[in-house]
Amino acid sequence: MSLVQEIDYGTPASKSTQTVTLTIDGNPVTVSAGTSIMRAAMDAGIQVPKLCATDSVDAFGSCRLCLVEIAGRAGTPASCTTPVAAGMVVSTQTERLKQVRKGVMELYISDHPLDCLTCAANGDCELQDMAGAVGLRDVRYGYEGENHLKLEKDESNPYFTFDASKCIVCSRCVRACEEVQGTFALTIQGRGFDSKVSAGAFGDDFLSSECVSCGACVQACPTATLSEKSLIEIGQPEHSVVTTCAYCGVGCSFKAEMRGEELVRMVPYKEGKANHGHSCVKGRFAWGYANHKERILKPMIRESIEQPWREVSWQVAIDRVASEFKRLQGKHGRLAIGGITSSRCTNEETYLVQKLVRGGFGNNNVDTCARVCHSPTGYGLKTTFGTSAGTQDFDSVDQSDVIMVIGANPTDAHPVFASRMKKRLRAGAKLIVIDPRRTDIVRMPHIEADYHLPLRPGTNAAILNALAHTIVTEGLVDEAFVREFCDRDAFEHWASFVSEPQNSPETVGLVAGVSPAAIRGAARLYATGGNGAIYYGLGVTEHSQGTTAVMALANLAMATGNLGKRGVGVNPLRGQNNVQGACDMGSFPHELTGYRHISDDATRTMFEKLWGRPLDAEPGLRIPNMFDAAIDGTFKGLYVQGEDILQSDPNTEHVVRALAAMECVVVQDLFLNETANYAHVFLPGSTFLEKDGTFTNAERRINRVRKVMTPKNGMADWEITLAIAKAMGFEMPYSHPSEIMDEIAKLTPTFAGVSYELLDKEGSVQWPCNEKAPLGTPIMHIGGFARGKGNFMITEYVPTDERTGPRFPLLLTTGRILSQYNVGAQTRRTDNVVWHQEDVLEIHPHDAEQRGIRDGDWVKLDSRAGGTALHARITDRVAPGVVYTTFHHPDTQANVVTTEYSDWATNCPEYKVTAVQVSPSNGPSEWQKEYAEQADHSRRIATKVAAE
Amino acid sequence: MTTRIFVPRDAAARAVGADRVAAALESEAKRLGLSIQLVRTGSRGLFWLEPMIEVETPGGRIAFGPVTAKDVPGLFTGGLPLSAAHPLCVGRPEDIPFLKRQTRITFARCGIVDPLSLADYRAHGGYRGLERAKSLGAAGTVEEVVKSGLRGRGGAGFPTGIKWKTVADTTADQKYIVCNADEGDSGTYADRMIMEGDPFLLIEGMTIAGFAVGATKGYVYIRSEYPDAIRVMARAIMLAEAEGLLGAEVKFDIEIRVGAGAYVCGEETSLLESLEGKRGQVRAKPPLPAHKGLFGKPTVINNLISLATVPAILADGAKHYADLGMGRSRGTMPIQLAGNVKHGGLFEAAFGLTLGEIVDDIGGGTASGRPVRAVQVGGPLGAYFPRALFDTPFDYEAFTARDGLVGHGGVVVFDDTVDMAKQARFALEFCAIESCGKCTPCRIGSVRGTETMDKIIRGERTAANLALITDLCQTLKFGSLCALGGFTPYPVMSAINHFPEDFNRPRLSAAAE
Amino acid sequence: MSRTVDKLVMMANQIGKFFVPQRDGDPVAAIADHLQKFWDPRMRAGIIAHLAAGGAGLDGPVREAVGRLKKPSA
Repeated sequence: MSLVQEIDYGTPASKSTQTVTLTIDGNPVTVSAGTSIMRAAMDAGIQVPKLCATDSVDAFGSCRLCLVEIAGRAGTPASCTTPVAAGMVVSTQTERLKQVRKGVMELYISDHPLDCLTCAANGDCELQDMAGAVGLRDVRYGYEGENHLKLEKDESNPYFTFDASKCIVCSRCVRACEEVQGTFALTIQGRGFDSKVSAGAFGDDFLSSECVSCGACVQACPTATLSEKSLIEIGQPEHSVVTTCAYCGVGCSFKAEMRGEELVRMVPYKEGKANHGHSCVKGRFAWGYANHKERILKPMIRESIEQPWREVSWQVAIDRVASEFKRLQGKHGRLAIGGITSSRCTNEETYLVQKLVRGGFGNNNVDTCARVCHSPTGYGLKTTFGTSAGTQDFDSVDQSDVIMVIGANPTDAHPVFASRMKKRLRAGAKLIVIDPRRTDIVRMPHIEADYHLPLRPGTNAAILNALAHTIVTEGLVDEAFVREFCDRDAFEHWASFVSEPQNSPETVGLVAGVSPAAIRGAARLYATGGNGAIYYGLGVTEHSQGTTAVMALANLAMATGNLGKRGVGVNPLRGQNNVQGACDMGSFPHELTGYRHISDDATRTMFEKLWGRPLDAEPGLRIPNMFDAAIDGTFKGLYVQGEDILQSDPNTEHVVRALAAMECVVVQDLFLNETANYAHVFLPGSTFLEKDGTFTNAERRINRVRKVMTPKNGMADWEITLAIAKAMGFEMPYSHPSEIMDEIAKLTPTFAGVSYELLDKEGSVQWPCNEKAPLGTPIMHIGGFARGKGNFMITEYVPTDERTGPRFPLLLTTGRILSQYNVGAQTRRTDNVVWHQEDVLEIHPHDAEQRGIRDGDWVKLDSRAGGTALHARITDRVAPGVVYTTFHHPDTQANVVTTEYSDWATNCPEYKVTAVQVSPSNGPSEWQKEYAEQADHSRRIATKVAAE
Repeated sequence: MTTRIFVPRDAAARAVGADRVAAALESEAKRLGLSIQLVRTGSRGLFWLEPMIEVETPGGRIAFGPVTAKDVPGLFTGGLPLSAAHPLCVGRPEDIPFLKRQTRITFARCGIVDPLSLADYRAHGGYRGLERAKSLGAAGTVEEVVKSGLRGRGGAGFPTGIKWKTVADTTADQKYIVCNADEGDSGTYADRMIMEGDPFLLIEGMTIAGFAVGATKGYVYIRSEYPDAIRVMARAIMLAEAEGLLGAEVKFDIEIRVGAGAYVCGEETSLLESLEGKRGQVRAKPPLPAHKGLFGKPTVINNLISLATVPAILADGAKHYADLGMGRSRGTMPIQLAGNVKHGGLFEAAFGLTLGEIVDDIGGGTASGRPVRAVQVGGPLGAYFPRALFDTPFDYEAFTARDGLVGHGGVVVFDDTVDMAKQARFALEFCAIESCGKCTPCRIGSVRGTETMDKIIRGERTAANLALITDLCQTLKFGSLCALGGFTPYPVMSAINHFPEDFNRPRLSAAAE
Repeated sequence: MSRTVDKLVMMANQIGKFFVPQRDGDPVAAIADHLQKFWDPRMRAGIIAHLAAGGAGLDGPVREAVGRLKKPSA
């Protein structure tokens, strides 16, 4: 194994389709028009010395090392900023250039520490390389002149240091922060010799600045100035493995750079087709949880949740699972147990869990955490378009003219894609944001939404109908598109429905609390502004009308012809790394892989034949139904892989009752999560670094996950499921996850062409990948919809039953924050806590004033479901009447207050609307104290207790 | 009958008491019951005579200078018009040799008219250029500027017409005209004199440019050190708007933007960055501003003098202008004499005068009366010329051939007390102070150069350090991103080459100095 | 009536509220189809039993749809 070295072409690739031929150092070179001379030279294998150029940012022309001579032109132009021209004759090595380059390097080194041997970048330093390349032998200026060698090191960021004394002021970090990340946290302060890189305003350090710790600056730095602390501590890596991030649904490719079994750093991979070399604070830095002291590495069992855990062998633990499950089925029937797959786990692992449930348990009681996030997406898009997935690839956003972000907060939850989106917005695309809260993207450096519709939580369907009303009644429908690709009757019915007065912006405006003019303006912009792309998240799906709203979005896109090409589409931003994959893999109780209903005899028979097991044709229980059945006493045993249902599912008290009512709860996870407090068997899981497999991201891209280290718990997650199946008498003969994928491909038409061989060759592919599309399908529905004709659905607005009233006058909506991920099991166990140590309640100054609440006060948050307490943050990001919090910390348990109301079609919980009251408080609630006590009690481990 | 008396409002005149003189004139006339009308004009550019006042007589204007407030009562001894017999009387201004020898095209009106009177402007031929441009059409106007041979007066000497043509030929929804009035070169003031003395000329020139290339918006970027110019320009723009000479009717308007004290913002791409509200930092070219300039749109960015010369070119025809000058340097150049010179001031003349003629004949040698030792032409980045090179004609190519530059036309004279090693050091220090910090040669090289020059001045390893400075100058010349670093070698190397004796002197210790 | 049955009635009515306004096809059939495809047998058995016991709280078309459901085998 060796270190994966990526070529730096110096400047970004030209997008031109025309080519130009020129001569560089006597070699004819043909490149796209607009390519820099530097990049063209690189194409010809000629490395022009450079320091300020790197291909992730635009050419800058400041280091003056890459100068070349061009026949017939005066002077020595920089090859990074000079584009090629036909017939140009370029020399990259002449006596004059040699002298100038040496002169420039001599200047650089006259203001640089001479500590190469003890420098963290030793061996991976471009300055060092260039000094060698130009043959610098002497610094005649001496070292006693003015210099920056005594500047202090900024170590405020938990993950990287900024050593100003080593800075060569190439601005790569500043430009990466602007161009790649779009945060504009860094700047050059001062002029001339006093120029220095500075985070934010005078006196700020990296941590107190606007920096979001995405790592783009560290990545761009050619010296040791910006270095990962882990690199400084461990040293240069010696090998690397390309794998896929296990955080959000963007699915970034990373190089895991290793020294032996030790991870030195995660470096975003330029060839990664989802992230193109960019990263965020989670994927780039927050992997320390993999070695966290709280990670459980031995299987454990107990008879009741009152007892402490006992560490046992894998054999004992697996046998306990099998015998308990068999016992429960014997006593309570075949349908009394089930399993939950995880969107955190690989496709292969997910597939195995549903196979275990269907084939091994003999029922369809399998569900996945997508139930509580994007299940309405599957249902809604399948009904309208025919495919349960987003329509575009991420690159498509580069061609969008109007971007509509609804119920999504990409800069926090999907930061790497958000950076792409922001880049496009800075280049001039228009922006419509529909969100109760003023999310960051509404106004950021060089970005301002053309329309922000701060709707009342729960009124998505109404607003979307009002947008449709405007489009239809103002004659903005793309008639040609509708005529050619959509069901005519369905369109006519829909058009007459949305034209009705109750859907007019004027009427809806009153319900949703949004100005009718803004609704009309946004509708006109989306319909007529060129390529219109919709990006949405859980703010759309997690409602009693989640599915309706997804369909309403699909209707809008169809009516305006914004489908079937680049730059458009309906794009769900998936919360977790493998939400798409978990859904694709047949995790839902009613369908097999590739979204085929379990009642379909032909499909079922195919699976039965290959698996050698009879399958139940009846749909199984969905997660909320499992809880209800558990409380009713008909559901007794559950195998939960990699999901913390107690913290993440709504109405915590209800979930607690359900878990407590079960006789055998098996939790497979890295940590003793909240669900494990009610578990009887704990199976230690493996991290994404410890296994092979695939994740499918929000753009249907199947990315490889590659094992970079041995599982610390002794088994990869897929092997654990195999062991359980075997113990239950259901043999699954796989020796490697690639064989599982081969089986998936065999059974699933949309995956027919997928294999590890293909993924290794292509890097990744987007399904459908089969005979018709051997290299996958970046854009769906080109030249017609998967289901045939596009299907408009009537999306009548039905207000949720969750209503505000005198007791609960405020509406709570929930969301995420950049530094934390989901229930925080991983990120809370990293230094990311410096940015977000606790969940806080955002409340409008008006509502706070009325209640006598000051910023930072403890407040009680009560709903009909329950109550908790947390600190208040007073902000006008939320409208009066709306409060907001995140759900990353179990100490707060935001889901204590959320209710069991759910989407009509999929039972996806209505996390986004809860009627609440907020009142001053002295500290944590009684419930929180009791819960904390119970959790401590439940997490005791007998062997450790004895040893202590 | 009311007699008109003209007193300059130019900053150079005000600096030596023109306002006090004006006040004294008014109070003295009032005291004597004489009816005068004070007209505040620009300056004629004869700075050793400032404040130079002029009085209207039946035989034309008569000038007095330099006048102090104390002189005023004496001036009135003979009543009105003021007596030509007064010792301060210098006669008809046009007959003063310094003015008489000039060919005033760009500065034809400067010092004569009331800068804020559109009627005056029109009466002296204003807006004839725009009228002719309209009759020629946009393309014809560009062609006329090309034919005139006018080159960028900011220093680079790039043909103005070609720049305009590039912008005219580029399609875009918006184009801009940017006037570079960030006149930062030492010893230069031509831009300021036009803004303070004939602002409508610039407005007309920019309007013609806008018409010619299809731009609807113009910016004048004025350095913050020119408060008077800013005020007069702003007022002139308001007056022009009020008369419909700017605004929707003519599809062209002008905004003033004030710099923040950075010399490098006189470099066109930094100026554009600064105009956009960013750090004044040099952009790499390409793209050329003509293709992607202000806010990424095609932009004509011209020096103020270039734009202010356009109306005359249009009014009197390209040939009239092109017939003047020598070689590829056509037309006239406002030469600005400064430093240790007897007759400091603005001298507009056709290209071709020798440096010796300019310094000795026109400038009259040094103000100190000591021999002229060196002349720096073209601002702080221009070369130092020794007397041996005084035969160099004022011409872009002739100066380039002698490793110098015409620049913006500044000529700074030094007598024989000058220490050229210190001047060389000053050039490097200037570069260090004014460097934007973007490119390495300028950012670090200027500081290292200053330090090395200090070593030379201290007499440390002189030969080795001179060799290092020579190498550094090569790096600066070929490696710098813009002319700031790129031209710093001119003063440094010209000082070393032409005055080697100043670099090899045994030095006194610092304490003894 | 148990809490579970209340919830089933609420969920069924929610489904009804989506399908009733649809202008293509038969809403009752669509509701029945949805229940058949997405509700586990014990849930369907529960709602069928509730209808048999009078079906309190079920909206008209939903009532009709539940009436059309096949009794689950399990």
